[in-house]
Amino acid sequence: MAKITGNVFSIEEFSTFDGPGIRETVFLKGCPLKCMWCHNPEGQSFESMVVRSPNGCLNCGACLKKGEEITGKSCLVKESIAVCPRNLVRICGEVKTAEELVSIISKNITILNASGGGVTFSGGEPLSQHKFLLECLKLLKDKTNRAIQTTGYTSESVFREVLSECDFVLYDLKLMDNDKHKYYVGGSNENILRNYSILASSGKDFITRIPLIPTVNDTAENIEATAKFMNKNKVSKVEILPYNKMAGGKYKLIGKEYKPEFDGNIEPNPHKDIFEKYGIEVKVL
Amino acid sequence: MRENVKKMYDFLLERSFRERRSDKIIDITDLVEGKSEYETQVIRLREMLKNEGTLIYDGDIFGFNRTIKNLPKYNCKDGKKSHTDSTGNITVNFKGAIEKGFDSIIDFCKEKLNTELAESSVNYYNTVIEMLTIVLDFCDRYRDYAKSVGNETLYNALCQIPHGKATCLYEACLLQKIILYMQRLLAHSHTTLGRFDQYMYDYYKMDKEKGLSDEDLLEIIELYFISLNLDTDIYHGVQQGDNGQSMVLGGFDLEGNSMFNELSKLVMEASLELTLIDPKINLRVGKNTPDWLYEYATKLTKKGLGFPQYCNDDIVVPGLTKLGYKKEDVVNYTVAACWEYIIPNCSMDVPNIDTFNFPLVVNNALHAHLKEAESFEALMEFVDKEIRQEVNVIIERHKSNWHNRVYAAPLLSIFVDGCIEQGKDLSEFGAKYNCFGCHGAGIANGADALAAVKKLVYENKEITKDELLNALNSNFEGCEELRNKLLNCSKMGNNDDYVDELGSKIMESFSSEMNGRDNGYGGFWRAGTGSAMEYIWSARKCPATADGKKAGEAYGSSFSPAITTKLNGPLSVIQSFTKFDMTKIINGGPLTMEVHDTVFRNEEGEKKVAALVKAFVHLGGHQLQINSINRERLLDAQKHPENYPNLVVRVWGWSGYFCELDLEYQNHVIRRTEFSV
Repeated sequence: MAKITGNVFSIEEFSTFDGPGIRETVFLKGCPLKCMWCHNPEGQSFESMVVRSPNGCLNCGACLKKGEEITGKSCLVKESIAVCPRNLVRICGEVKTAEELVSIISKNITILNASGGGVTFSGGEPLSQHKFLLECLKLLKDKTNRAIQTTGYTSESVFREVLSECDFVLYDLKLMDNDKHKYYVGGSNENILRNYSILASSGKDFITRIPLIPTVNDTAENIEATAKFMNKNKVSKVEILPYNKMAGGKYKLIGKEYKPEFDGNIEPNPHKDIFEKYGIEVKVL
Repeated sequence: MRENVKKMYDFLLERSFRERRSDKIIDITDLVEGKSEYETQVIRLREMLKNEGTLIYDGDIFGFNRTIKNLPKYNCKDGKKSHTDSTGNITVNFKGAIEKGFDSIIDFCKEKLNTELAESSVNYYNTVIEMLTIVLDFCDRYRDYAKSVGNETLYNALCQIPHGKATCLYEACLLQKIILYMQRLLAHSHTTLGRFDQYMYDYYKMDKEKGLSDEDLLEIIELYFISLNLDTDIYHGVQQGDNGQSMVLGGFDLEGNSMFNELSKLVMEASLELTLIDPKINLRVGKNTPDWLYEYATKLTKKGLGFPQYCNDDIVVPGLTKLGYKKEDVVNYTVAACWEYIIPNCSMDVPNIDTFNFPLVVNNALHAHLKEAESFEALMEFVDKEIRQEVNVIIERHKSNWHNRVYAAPLLSIFVDGCIEQGKDLSEFGAKYNCFGCHGAGIANGADALAAVKKLVYENKEITKDELLNALNSNFEGCEELRNKLLNCSKMGNNDDYVDELGSKIMESFSSEMNGRDNGYGGFWRAGTGSAMEYIWSARKCPATADGKKAGEAYGSSFSPAITTKLNGPLSVIQSFTKFDMTKIINGGPLTMEVHDTVFRNEEGEKKVAALVKAFVHLGGHQLQINSINRERLLDAQKHPENYPNLVVRVWGWSGYFCELDLEYQNHVIRRTEFSV
């Protein structure tokens, strides 16, 4: 039987906000959602892609010419990597077996563990590659602390299965109103909210996170609904990630334009008072 | 910060006082013509102090501020020494002076003169007496001036010191300031502050017994540190900030007991509160350093000053002992102006006398032997031979170089054990240790070049020997594809044994050939991992290399990955750079890492950075500099320097004001590896 493989678009060794201790964060490629503020746009598609860093580009066109030679149209191809005079072209998304990925992580496990840290699988949406994810989590069992950073956008059975194999969960709650959720996030929040309840009653260590986007989900109405929902699930802690103006930084890399429909210059309002009304402790990161 | 401290602090940051200094040039060419070295030193000091005024700023309790920018000039026709010659970069025995006072040193010299002595010693003692008398006269002038302006604090202290011994922490600091002030006038630059928390500890305890609180003592330390920053703009150095005012805290004694004390903590507290360049803090750590100390030190890193620099006692102490230093001296080790480990109180080592240019030597070996080497192993034998040969060239070069590097320095030698006792100047080997240290620049670039050759030429045979050599000769003109292949090979810093082992091999060749070799002056050679300014200077002399580096491009600073390396992250870096047994290459030279300041956003982030430092120490790293840097802020500072007068960055061994650096260094700081969330 062929080994299960996954597509990894980045591994960060010293991630300090993805769980307890020093985290090695693995970014799995592909996401079924499409948040308007996504700061990892290169992680949205499920396929590997050739990307070009815009900083320092001489616009010499050698990379695109190579694409034209091979495909007949001006585009980036794998062969473009070698011809860039500044070495700015690279592959985003490498296919690896679970064993390969775990052996990379293993090199750092002593340091990760010594700091009380471990591995965090992020994305994209890591649950979208759940078979690969499960395989990795199983191989890492009892070796280090295993966390996932997820939107929870998946079926109940997949969620339960993955949950049973991880030690810590970072769970995003973005918008409570389903229509708005569909518009801004690109999918329904029904399974997200259902899986959240499963997580909250599972006894697993987890943290709820809200990426706070000005005028989109920092409204009193949405915060009230979120706090109420968390309170119903007996959750008493939340971490707020205020919108980062650097979010658009990587769109050029994949040849896209960042066009949010909200004003990123507005300082989002975390409405701490509302959370506190529901007995929820707020930490702004 | 107490109000009086805040007032001095604001005064310092405002900087306008610096414009009031005189530009006057004191030309003493006629006076020193035909004079001996000792006489010249005396004249330099006397003429400078004749012209220097007494200047005590409002709220200043230390005085000894410069009123003239330039040191006396002389250019003797006979081509003899010039005013820029300087002996320094050592840590003197401040404690000895602080405990005695200058009168007793003069008495000691006079007593010696009553005994039978060689003529050179008679000259030496007479010179010392003459110089100390000039210094004391000047201090008396200051004392009287302090009284006349109603500065009772300074007046009272100057009634006690420097004639007599210090009786409290304030007097001890003042006496040290006077010593440093005088040494600077003779261009004895880079005399470092050493283990301040150890030799000042008795005074700290005395003051505590007298009823002073930690807050009172913090005030004194903060005022002292501010005073150390007042005149740094006119100190001699390669770039501003490179002035040697570094300090070493903590460490372990021979039995392994921690020597980090209440004063060490207070010094760090002062540094945290002031956020000033000086003094630069080095922290001695080891496997038994508690987490809280790493975490506290990380708060200092977060300030963005580029320190503390960490030194690992578990590696440095055995390393220096193996070289030939006595263990009781080694346990006191300090750090020179940048990072070279030096023995305080009793050494006149020159730890930066030369630089081994790894990329250049490796490159020369490639050009000379690649064609004939049938296997990579055969090539490595040639590389080993070339490295050893170059080490011998360096050793030979300095066999008769002592007097070109260590000039007569009677005023400095007073404070170095052995000189006064023997009646011998530092230049005449009055100190116990007289060793030479050699930097090792561009180790990663050298290893990377070999890894690329091994992979592409010998294993994969993707590039022929001629193709490689031609590409190097043409500085990669028209060979972009070939260069990309080189750039995308395994690089040091990614925890890949393939290249890291080659790094270990070249370090082994270099250090085993050099360590312990006689330097011709009773001292030995020490090999290191530092680069100082050589990561730019030596690199300029280096043509295109097989790691893909173009001619003249900078190396990684000190013991760090090459600048262009795409890194996995800091965990890989610290593992790559701790594989070699670092006790074998212990002249000094840190791994330098930049951490984006967003990592420090909260206390949790701080703890994680602290854990990273701890991991490095436990892996057996010898020295680490970890900087908090925000790229966007640096870029903006380049565009709008007027908005960033106080932005401090660490450049190589020292910190400097970013906006005052040459563009080349600014760009290098910006390009240096940066890890962020």
